[in-house]
Amino acid sequence: MNKILIADDEPHVLRVLKLSLEKEGYAVETSNNGKEALARLEQSHPDILITDIQMPLMTGEELCKHINAHMPERKFLIFVLTSRTEIEHREWSRDIQNLLFLEKPVSIRNLLDKIDGYFAQATDSWKVS
Amino acid sequence: MQINQRFGLTMIIATLLVMVATVYILFDYQRGNREELARAQGLELARLLSGMSWNELVPQAGKKGLLAVLKQGQSNPDFAYGAVVDIDGRVATEVTRSGVILPTGDIVNEPTGWLGQRVLPANDTEARVEFIETHAPVFDEGVHKGFIRLGYLRPGLGFSYSEMPFLATVMLPIFLLVPFFYFMLRREIKPLKDISQRFEELADQGGLDQIATPPSQALNDFMEQVSGYIDATQTKLEVLNQEHEDLTMSSKLLTYKSNRVEAILQNFPDAVMVIDEAGEVSYANGKSERLLGVDASALLGKKTREWCNNPEIVPLLTFSDVKSNLQANQDTVQVRLDDNSEKSLQFSVYPLFMPNNESKILGRLVVIRDVSESHLMRQRQTEFISHISHELKTPLNVLSMYSESLLTEGADNEEYRIEAVNVIHDEVERLSTLINNLLAINQYELGGVVAQRKHVRMHEFLEDTFTNISKGKQECCEFELEIPREMSMVYIDKDLFRIAVNNLLTNAIKYSKPGGKVSMSASETEDSIEIAVSDEGYGIAENDQKQIFNKFFRSTDDNIRQQTGHGLGLSLARQIVRMHHGDLTCSSELGKGSRFVIRLEKISTQIMDAVAS
Repeated sequence: MNKILIADDEPHVLRVLKLSLEKEGYAVETSNNGKEALARLEQSHPDILITDIQMPLMTGEELCKHINAHMPERKFLIFVLTSRTEIEHREWSRDIQNLLFLEKPVSIRNLLDKIDGYFAQATDSWKVS
Repeated sequence: MQINQRFGLTMIIATLLVMVATVYILFDYQRGNREELARAQGLELARLLSGMSWNELVPQAGKKGLLAVLKQGQSNPDFAYGAVVDIDGRVATEVTRSGVILPTGDIVNEPTGWLGQRVLPANDTEARVEFIETHAPVFDEGVHKGFIRLGYLRPGLGFSYSEMPFLATVMLPIFLLVPFFYFMLRREIKPLKDISQRFEELADQGGLDQIATPPSQALNDFMEQVSGYIDATQTKLEVLNQEHEDLTMSSKLLTYKSNRVEAILQNFPDAVMVIDEAGEVSYANGKSERLLGVDASALLGKKTREWCNNPEIVPLLTFSDVKSNLQANQDTVQVRLDDNSEKSLQFSVYPLFMPNNESKILGRLVVIRDVSESHLMRQRQTEFISHISHELKTPLNVLSMYSESLLTEGADNEEYRIEAVNVIHDEVERLSTLINNLLAINQYELGGVVAQRKHVRMHEFLEDTFTNISKGKQECCEFELEIPREMSMVYIDKDLFRIAVNNLLTNAIKYSKPGGKVSMSASETEDSIEIAVSDEGYGIAENDQKQIFNKFFRSTDDNIRQQTGHGLGLSLARQIVRMHHGDLTCSSELGKGSRFVIRLEKISTQIMDAVAS
């Protein structure tokens, strides 16, 4: 079963996403901030990480940079949920591979399509390096 | 000049006096000689004659006496008379020179007085003539018979006519030559005196006229040359004077102009620097020290890398080729100074062209402006917008997700439907509070908020606000409300005041420790009403307490950072309270909790009351 880790400080978002993704057949883990997510990443090895940006203790941006710097062998895809539309607020992610932005408000359908598409492609030919 | 004239006059008088004295001494000497001669001759002659007998001296009738011979043979021109008298003084015989009468004078008939000399005045006193008379006894065969008297004219100082030619011969050349030499000298000296006078005038800055032509040719030439030289000197002096005045004027003007430019540059709020073609600083105003930490005098004549080691600034102020890149440049650089303060400096670099020749470049003008303030403001605003968009989009996101999931999940799950509707309701509330805060603060800043005051029952107002906030939060905090039932009516804008109280309560809940107590109390004195909101949360560090009412301020404390916030709530709350002529204060202890107190003056509300009615 494909594993997905979600990091968000908003419990309602965690609840809805978990519900919707589990219904699609994914194993879902949640964490309330970046720090928590980082700890969980090292135990379980998810296939996808979905993270918010503005979180207490460790922001999504700090989390992604940390992953990029310390996990060169990473094999999972990152979705970043952002409130900002301007391109300059995505500058920090320029050097990080396999990272996609999703703009708030997020459509659950849209997210599910992207995840389904990714796994379909991954199982066929494309493997995240 | 007067001194010179007096000196000339004195000289003349002195010369005349010396001449007169010389003549006097000359004549006096001659007179003395003559008198001496007369006395000696008279005495010798008298002795000689005294040796002769009476008879030899006194001639017989019809014969010439010895005296007549004497008179004829006398060489002395002063010889006046010769006479032989008897003892009683009667004249036996006499000879006189023409015009002379034998003066009367008795001779003392004593042997001691027989031979002697005396001075006798002439009988005719008008003549003012004196005689030197020598007398000697005459004997006749050994018997004293009488006396021989020989008289000479006593020489005086007066001139005799016979001496006139001699005198004239002596005096004439003197009288002629003295004035002649004097005038000659004067004439020769005059031009020199004139020159001297002109020089004096020249020294006194007076004008120099053409010098009078002197008489002699050589002197004339000399004088003409001197005069020409003086004229040339004078002209040159005038030109020099004029040039000096012009120079002084233009130097004053230049000094004034340069002082003015310097004053402008020194008082310019930004650091101004000129970097010449060689890449060296040729001018820097006094602001460089404040902005770059380097004294202006330490910059002069140095290349950028010699006074600056900031890797971001050096390339901005280093120009590999003077001719290249003639566009004005602007860059903003973050600089950490030696005192560890951070500044945002905006470097504007402009090419400096020659005023009259656009193709010739003199160097670069660099204007450095401290934009830290506006940079910080911009940074805060960017942060603020990030916060706001997050705060707005997070509930929106929840709304969107729940409503979307309702379509799929809600169809067959009643429990989920109820949960979704509740969440949606809460999130709409949250959104609306935030939007209200934003609008209020925006309006307040634009000056558009006018308090819509009404009489409000404090008890009901506070209870209502407290209940709305604490509703549904019972699981995280313990709530306590302590408001006296009887409170005066206050005259406030209910909607604005609710925002202020709401913000205090929301903060108290947000920054509480789990299970901590959040309480609100109110008290009333004769002249004021106090509303206090307390929590038992993380508290506020002392440094932060000074800043919490500043717009956009967010503490760096980890416990506080854990909670989302936008640094608006307290700032807005205080603005609203002050609008009601009250004050909002804070007291807090780190780790123990905070207490915020709103104090409203009742008098002011009463005055408002009176004004309104």
